[in-house]
Amino acid sequence: MTAFTFTLRQEPPQRVDLSALTPDRLAGKSLADIEKIEIGTTRASIKVGDLFKIAQGDLKTLRYEGGSSRFDLVGAKLLPGFSLHVDGDVGLQLGRLAKGGKITVAGSAGAYAASGNEGAHIEIKGDACELLAAPLAGELAGMSGGRVVVRGKAGARAGDRLRRGILIIEGDAGEDLGSRLIAGTIIALGKTAGRVGYLNKRGSLVLAKHPKLSATYLDCGPQELTFARLLARSLKADSAAAASLLSVKLRRFGGDTAVYGKGEILTPL
Amino acid sequence: MLTVLRGGHVVDPATGKDSVGDVWFEDGKIVAPPAGGKADEDIDCSGHVVMAGAIDIHSHIAGGNVNTARLLLPELHRGIRARLANTPLSTAKWSTYETGRLYAQMGFTTVIEPAMAPHHSLQTHLELNDVPIIDKGALTVLGNDDFLLRQIRAREPESAINDYVAQTVGSVRSLGLKCINPGGCESFKENMRAFGLDDEVPFYGLTSRQIFQTLQKATQAVGIPHPLHLHMNNLGIAGNVQTALDTIDAAQGLPMHLAHVQFYAYGKEGSNAFSSAAAVFAEKINANPNITVDVGQVMFSQTVTISSDVLKQFNSMPGGSPRKGAIFDGDANGGGVVPYAYKISNYYNAIQWAAGLELFLLIKNPEQVFFTTDHPNGGPFTAYPELFALLMSAELRAEMMSRLPAEALEHTTLPSLKREYNYYEIAQMSRSGAAKLFGFTDRGSLAPGAIADIAVYKKSRDVAGMFRKAAYVYKDGDLVVKNGEVSHYKRGKTLHIAPRFDNNINKRLDAYYAELYGLPRGIFDVPDAALPHKDAFAEVACKE
Repeated sequence: MTAFTFTLRQEPPQRVDLSALTPDRLAGKSLADIEKIEIGTTRASIKVGDLFKIAQGDLKTLRYEGGSSRFDLVGAKLLPGFSLHVDGDVGLQLGRLAKGGKITVAGSAGAYAASGNEGAHIEIKGDACELLAAPLAGELAGMSGGRVVVRGKAGARAGDRLRRGILIIEGDAGEDLGSRLIAGTIIALGKTAGRVGYLNKRGSLVLAKHPKLSATYLDCGPQELTFARLLARSLKADSAAAASLLSVKLRRFGGDTAVYGKGEILTPL
Repeated sequence: MLTVLRGGHVVDPATGKDSVGDVWFEDGKIVAPPAGGKADEDIDCSGHVVMAGAIDIHSHIAGGNVNTARLLLPELHRGIRARLANTPLSTAKWSTYETGRLYAQMGFTTVIEPAMAPHHSLQTHLELNDVPIIDKGALTVLGNDDFLLRQIRAREPESAINDYVAQTVGSVRSLGLKCINPGGCESFKENMRAFGLDDEVPFYGLTSRQIFQTLQKATQAVGIPHPLHLHMNNLGIAGNVQTALDTIDAAQGLPMHLAHVQFYAYGKEGSNAFSSAAAVFAEKINANPNITVDVGQVMFSQTVTISSDVLKQFNSMPGGSPRKGAIFDGDANGGGVVPYAYKISNYYNAIQWAAGLELFLLIKNPEQVFFTTDHPNGGPFTAYPELFALLMSAELRAEMMSRLPAEALEHTTLPSLKREYNYYEIAQMSRSGAAKLFGFTDRGSLAPGAIADIAVYKKSRDVAGMFRKAAYVYKDGDLVVKNGEVSHYKRGKTLHIAPRFDNNINKRLDAYYAELYGLPRGIFDVPDAALPHKDAFAEVACKE
């Protein structure tokens, strides 16, 4: 059966909140009901029907034909077993608080993508803006589960306060990658900048390019890590490059000793 | 313009009225029914209850700690979602703007912020000034400040202490004096983590008892209408009812107001060593008419505790939810902000909820017990309508009790209490009694001459709904709420007193500030010019 499809009619005139349009929340609604859902974020009203042409199909999979950097909260609170694909860009907070499922974005994502993600597998084929997988203001933890793969670049402070889960950035990472990291794993294949792993408590950063490290990271020498090879195997399907990075011998830096200090940065020798 | 609210059920304990009748007002004041009987505006209030505007005597709505709480918990008032109609920044919950709007919709027209640190008074007044519609006032805080403790240690004459109290209360534009964990906060700085009524403050050698008794006497001598507003020691600790009972004995028959007493109504019974001792506490309050209390009822919800009792707040940090907090240890009391979630399934929270209601129901005189949740410490003020409903219906309470942990019900007398408040008692507690407590002669009453602050509620079986959205609210005779929505915004005033004192204290304080802080004392003053509107303040008369 074909996917349930929203085809974009034209660029939205304002930011739109698409959190209501996840497969689980659309279940049982008629086409007319769906078209009437209010998605505007300003005083001017905008409804689903104004923006999208809808082709009904299997609600297990949902597709957006055409995207926009004004699409906020795509796939928010998505549940396991559902999948969502956007053939274009998305705006802020992609996959916010998603419990599970699979989200793929053919274009780029705005800030706070995968914020508070609890278990979804999210793939962004383009770039991600700043604060990837980070918490919103006031929250104590960022992403707490799941897996995020960014094929392009990521903005500043990717993986801020990451709590659990795996973040793979195939392109360059912005400043302060893995800032305030609590736990979890970040793998970056491109360049890094700024204070990498700043205030890292017990998270793991695997970096293909040797970063400029702060003095609070201590060199622990080259390591034979069985775990790295196991992790490499599990990552193969998502990112062959990440898997091959973890298959070579790595040097371990322990830190950030400015805080708890049980975290690590691994780089090839 | 002469207006009449015709045919409503007028409930006005200040004049003893509790029957169907008319309320007339003109030019912002209640007037006697004119001889001719022709009004410019005639509003049919049949089927409605007509009361004076309500007064909240203890609600933390402004000041340094409140602002810290806003900063600590941005997730409770996110500004990134869609804005609703009519209000600027309406999603910024808990802004000054929202505070005024929500209070007005419930028919409240005067609200007192109970903990304004003297050195934070300008910030507090700027915030209060920004709260629309309602009138405001604030109590200032002494009792852990070095100047006073030095005075008592040096056994200075009462007149010198009275001058200091009067000068402080007046210069920060407050309505009276509060004392928070007397001596306890100062002792916290010397690493004490518990502080009882007769423990000594290091270096000063004073007990809590001595400190509040001194302030209690000064409050009376200076002519402050509101008795000393005391936040006792040992807040929230199992078995602390003993502290409360001893404190009442220590009051020596002089007027004193005990704040959020629910947090002191705990015994040590049961397997959790935590039980409600509200029954003995209420009995003591009934036997001591010099004591007034507000309850500080706990309502089950996510909230944030805000207090200048830094010792208590520090001890509360590990139980915070979400687990974060801010502790500010300095400048006399200091303070702390710790988020907390009261849960109906939690034994301790259930006991707290029950103890508060017991106090409401067991204290006989409704003008001795006041209606608060100690906003936001026991719950937000927006939970008041639900609380009114609980007080007015034993059935509703029984329904809630069925959801509490069964064990909790064994350690409270609440299931045996069948009393139900009526409109008259509700009005005594939230109108006439509250006005008396602060010496307000112009409000809390529908007698001719009072300002026309009037709340009209449409009678309904849904008591919470009735009190949440007043049918009409008039502030100074202007219609500000219609059918539960604010229809007109206006500026309220900030009420304050100006007690008399000997000017010599100013010279002494100037020298003290210059020596201790190296700063001119004037930077802490609240001059009229500091606020954006000229007529921001209104003075309340002191006692002779």
